[in-house]
Parts: sequence; C-alpha cells; structure tokens
Amino acid sequence: MRTRSTPKQNHLLAALPAADFARLAPQLELVPLALGAVIYESDGEQAHVYFPTSGIVSLLYVMNDGAAAEIAVVGNEGMVGISLFMGGGTTPSRAVVQSVGRAYRLDAAQIKVEFARGGALQRLLLRYTQALITQMTQTAVCNRHHQLEQQLCRWLLLSLDRLPSSELVMTQQLIANMLGVRREGVTEAAGRLQADGLISYRRGRINVLDRAKLEERVCECYGVVRRESDRLFASHAAIAA
Amino acid sequence: MTAIANGLLAALPRKDYLRLLSGLVPVDLRFGDVLYEPGKPIRDVYFPGQSLVSLLTVVEGHLALEVGLVGRDGMVGIPLALGIDASPVRALVQGGGAALRMNAARFRRELRRSPPLQRALNRYVYSLMAQISQTAGCNRFHVVQARLARWLLMTRDRVRSAEFRMTHQFLSHMLGVRRVGVTEAAGALQRRKLIEYRRGHIRILDHRGLQNAACACYEGLKPS
Repeated sequence: MRTRSTPKQNHLLAALPAADFARLAPQLELVPLALGAVIYESDGEQAHVYFPTSGIVSLLYVMNDGAAAEIAVVGNEGMVGISLFMGGGTTPSRAVVQSVGRAYRLDAAQIKVEFARGGALQRLLLRYTQALITQMTQTAVCNRHHQLEQQLCRWLLLSLDRLPSSELVMTQQLIANMLGVRREGVTEAAGRLQADGLISYRRGRINVLDRAKLEERVCECYGVVRRESDRLFASHAAIAA
Repeated sequence: MTAIANGLLAALPRKDYLRLLSGLVPVDLRFGDVLYEPGKPIRDVYFPGQSLVSLLTVVEGHLALEVGLVGRDGMVGIPLALGIDASPVRALVQGGGAALRMNAARFRRELRRSPPLQRALNRYVYSLMAQISQTAGCNRFHVVQARLARWLLMTRDRVRSAEFRMTHQFLSHMLGVRRVGVTEAAGALQRRKLIEYRRGHIRILDHRGLQNAACACYEGLKPS
C-alpha cells in the first residue's frame, strides 16, 4: 500500500495502446478501496467505473430476502461497472470491497464516450466482459456441484491471481458470506488446508504457503476461468500491438 | 411482409434490419440439436423465433448445469459479439422451431457496420449475465421445486406456449440435480395440479399457481 500507484498496475489499463492510454490517463482518479465499502448497489445509478490496482471487489447476487452469493471477483485484472457501457438496466447485484486496496476510477459519462469510440478500449472491455461471463458461469456450476473445500480453493486462487501479493486480509465470516455458506463450514475447510500446510491463517490474514498443492486440490472451475483470463491477456497483446 | 419473429432483430432500425436480412438463412432447429460444443469455434450465430436454445456448462465431460436460456429475446453466439471465436458452453436446442442463422464471418462484418446491432447485443449480453448470476444465486439458496417452477415459467415465456417437450434427463441437467430430484419436484408440482407431466411432455395447468411456487428469481428474468 505504501508503494506508489500507477494506472498501469491494472492489467486492462496497461494493455491499452499508448495513444488511448495517454488520452485516458488525465481523467483517471486514484481512490482507496476500503474494506466493506459498497461500490454500487443494484438500484443505484453508478457514477464511476473502477479499475483496481490492488485489493479485491466482490460482485454479489442479492436475493429478495437479503441473502447474497458471490458471482465473481475483480482485482487488478479487471474492472467494476460494466453495466455503464453495456447499456444494461439495473440487476439485483452489489459490488463490495472484500480486500482493501486502491483503484483508478473514471467518470460514467467519460467511459461511455470512450466505449462509443469503438477502438481498442471497446475491444478490450468486450473481451473482459466475456472473461467475466466465464467466471460467473463457473461460479454457478461450482456452487452446484463441488465441495466446499474445492470452492474455497477456487476462491483463494482466483483472489490471489487478482492481487499483487500472496496475502489476503479476510475474515472467515466474510468468506462464508462470499460463498453463501455457513461460517462453520469455512472454518472446517480452512482448518484442513492449514493442517496440510497449504495456507496459514491468523488474525484475519490468509497466507498461501503452497500454491502448487492448492492447485491440486481445486476443482476444474479454477482452470476454466484462468484459461479464459490468460486468453484475454494474450489477446491484449494483440490489441496493443 | 411477415412479422419478425425474433425480438432483438425486430427492435433494430429498419435500414439495419434489411441489410442483415440478406445474410440471414431461415432454419428449422430440431429438439436435441447441438449448435456449439465448449471450446470449439463458433461457425454460425442464431436468432431464435419459436425455438429455444439452452446454454449448458460441461464439467468433467458431463453436462452440469444450464446457465442461460435463449429464445426470441436474444441471440445464440454471444462470444462472437464480444470478440471471442469459441463457445465456452454447449448450446443445445431445447425447443424445436424456426430460427434465423448467419455465418460467423458475415456476422462480424455486419456487427462492425451496425452500431444499433452492437448496442442491442450489448444490452442483451448484460441481461444474459443477469440470468447467469441469478442462476448462481438461485442454485445456492433455493430448493429444487421452486427452481423447477421458475425454469418452467422461463421456458413458457420464451416459447410462448404452455406445453412443451422435456425429458427427465434434460431437466436434471437444467437444474444440476440428479434425476430422482427432478422426479420428486415434478411429482410435487403435479400433485398440486400446477402442471401435467407425461412421457416427456409438460403442460402448465395453473400459471398463477406455478408463479407462486417459483422462487422470486423468476420475477427478475422475464424477457422484455
């Protein structure tokens, strides 16, 4: 957090061609992402889109009775607020900061103008949208078919891929909320991973000790999302070229 | 001139629609046809009329869960509209009927030329994302019977008929549960005289009753 932030710590912004980046850069505003902060609510108008450079934002689906389940995580690989340029109406979802960090934000009107230009930024954001769809799809499947421990592994790996460090600041209650399960289940699953030396968990901080083993324990859902994301960034290189 | 059966096409400005039309081939989709396999290139996009196409994820080689249902409100082939050439899901015809087909190369060209088509598809993509996230939430929290009721209503809205074909096997993939779970849930709805289910045919007998039996997720997902 003490290190200097630059917009290019966000992979989408970093993938823009120089001319597009130069045009966008003066409009970007660095803001903190505070733990638990609500970036948007389903019924509210979004004033900005956010490109995180650190931290994790959770996209949650909110049920009528207030229960919520995470449908995707966004970090330095992506952005929050695609409804602004996709032209969608409001949906029963909420974006919440689940790991502190920072983001560059861009005014709603400006992202709409930039998107409508139809250049590299538009191509990038549309492909990111596809990667996000894949993540949401896989979350739906994983919720249905896989054991809590596998889901926890998936969630840890997806979060780590989107963070600059291998440490997550996170309570078990928060993880339980994200996965839409009881806290006891998370405690049990996290305890097993800790006993096996894959993670260490202390005072709300999770450190990944053995990433390779974590990848062995995870369900295939992680790989599907990862490949889609890798493909996106492979194509970023093509866009920027 | 007959009415345009697909809502997404019908909403385009006439000029854009007419230009698209010359590249659209009427086809008859049959129940059980597979339009896309996961990871394979998308050769054609489809605008359903009376037909209904299910987007299914595949886990460990088996059909796992329906994550989207495309009818006259949308288009099959969304990844192409987002600049991706391969389908991440299997697209399976779930209700036979008419659709309009366009090959991938032509579609990409037309999409570049038509900002109204781009906007319409982006809006549609967003509504499909709402459907996916809702599926994730609904799967997590709601019981099979409520989800089955929701799914039958979504199907009805898209085929615009209270009667359609549906095997047990298929329903079990839709809902991501075992067949015995489907049997129980369908049996319960039948005993409540909300549906009639016989030899792979489903008839909705009491639409309002079925709405009451469905989880609230249904309200958010009616096609426009």
